[in-house]
Amino acid sequence: MMLLQLDALMTALLIALFLLLLTTLLPWLISVTSSKSKVVKEELVELVGCPKCGYESSRKYEKGDYVGKVVGTCPKDSNSLIVKAIYVEKHTYAQ
Amino acid sequence: MNGGSEIASYLIVLLFLVSLLMNFTDIPQRIQLHRFSSFVRRKLYTLEEMEVDARRKAIAYMSSTGIKEPSKVLEGFMDNFFLIRPVDMEPTDIIKRFKHLIRVRESSVRDYVRRVLSGAERSVQYSVETVLEIVSVMRLLNKLIRHYLELGLKYNNWILVMQLAIQMPELVEIAKAYRNSLDAFTSGIPIGDSVGPLVAKMLVNWKEPIREISEGTDLYETEVEGRKVYVIKASGPGSNVGWPGEALEKLVEELGGAIDRIITVDAALKLESEESGEVAFGTGAAIGDIGPEKIAMERIASKYSIPLDAVVVKMSEVEALSPLTKKIYEGVVRSYEVVRKIIIEKVRDGGVAVVVGVGNTVGVK
Repeated sequence: MMLLQLDALMTALLIALFLLLLTTLLPWLISVTSSKSKVVKEELVELVGCPKCGYESSRKYEKGDYVGKVVGTCPKDSNSLIVKAIYVEKHTYAQ
Repeated sequence: MNGGSEIASYLIVLLFLVSLLMNFTDIPQRIQLHRFSSFVRRKLYTLEEMEVDARRKAIAYMSSTGIKEPSKVLEGFMDNFFLIRPVDMEPTDIIKRFKHLIRVRESSVRDYVRRVLSGAERSVQYSVETVLEIVSVMRLLNKLIRHYLELGLKYNNWILVMQLAIQMPELVEIAKAYRNSLDAFTSGIPIGDSVGPLVAKMLVNWKEPIREISEGTDLYETEVEGRKVYVIKASGPGSNVGWPGEALEKLVEELGGAIDRIITVDAALKLESEESGEVAFGTGAAIGDIGPEKIAMERIASKYSIPLDAVVVKMSEVEALSPLTKKIYEGVVRSYEVVRKIIIEKVRDGGVAVVVGVGNTVGVK
């Protein structure tokens, strides 16, 4: 009977030890399993357009461009084509 | 007694002793102090690496603008050009004093940059100033963190070190945003804070300004459905915020207060539960200024009883400093619609409105 009680005590201590380890490692385990993983690719895009006819198209950002810069002529009405916006487009892929 | 029970007895005694040590001594606090301080140190190394990276980028940019000995220019700027806030115990004319100090500091910085950057155009000069300010802020951030860490360790103040450790991830994010903003400022790409100037530019259909109304601040004129609209924004495409309060004050005085509505547009910090790019409108001056420019707007609006509207695009602090994202650009388009709606619905036909696009105009001419 005494032997049985002590074994139960030993088991309880082992369970306590296991729980202690689990609570210590749980945040790490969660962070490892949850960061499965997405690749985010960023691309700098500029929106060019014609202020007169409303023509718009997007293209890759070219160094030295800024919003308001004249970058050519409109294919529709031959007025000035200007950069209307520059922004980062994010594409997410599963790894 | 067998072997198993002996081990159990030892374990019970051990648990009892450990519990005694953990509950009735300051050993746990010492352990925590050690853990938190090593965490802060690790993060501090990361921040210092970022500072070195930012310095490298700043030096490369300054070299490309023709500055000789850029590292000397950087060192001459760091830790200098601080601003002592005016006495607030006696608040009489505090705004006037504050404005004076801000102007004096800005002109000192401008002179310093002008001396080393002779002949460069103004937008490059503004960008060099911003680059120097960013590296200086990163240095200050690192110095402050190291100060509190060493203070905590010196006096065994584990609460101070723990607070610092808890704040470190947020501070690292802010430092990252500053470092990344260098790319935007040196390449001339709009950032999140450029939403105000972008809306202004959309309203005037990307036309040129009619004149410079204040130093580094342009005035535009356009028409929206039969209403005359004056638009104010900082002069671009260099990194510049201009003096929107002073410009508004001048314009309203020039027109003798004959204005039906003033609308301010700016970026606003979002709450964590809010989406980036959300647009909201309300009343007041939408400007993240420390005082003088904002109060100038409020004063001139109340002097002539002109309704003052605010339209904001929500974003995080990191987004405000980083290159403009598509999500926030969509917010810009929505806020442009909101501004037009306010003008059409709240300004009488043939009336006059002023729109102030507040924010950094980097990458937006």
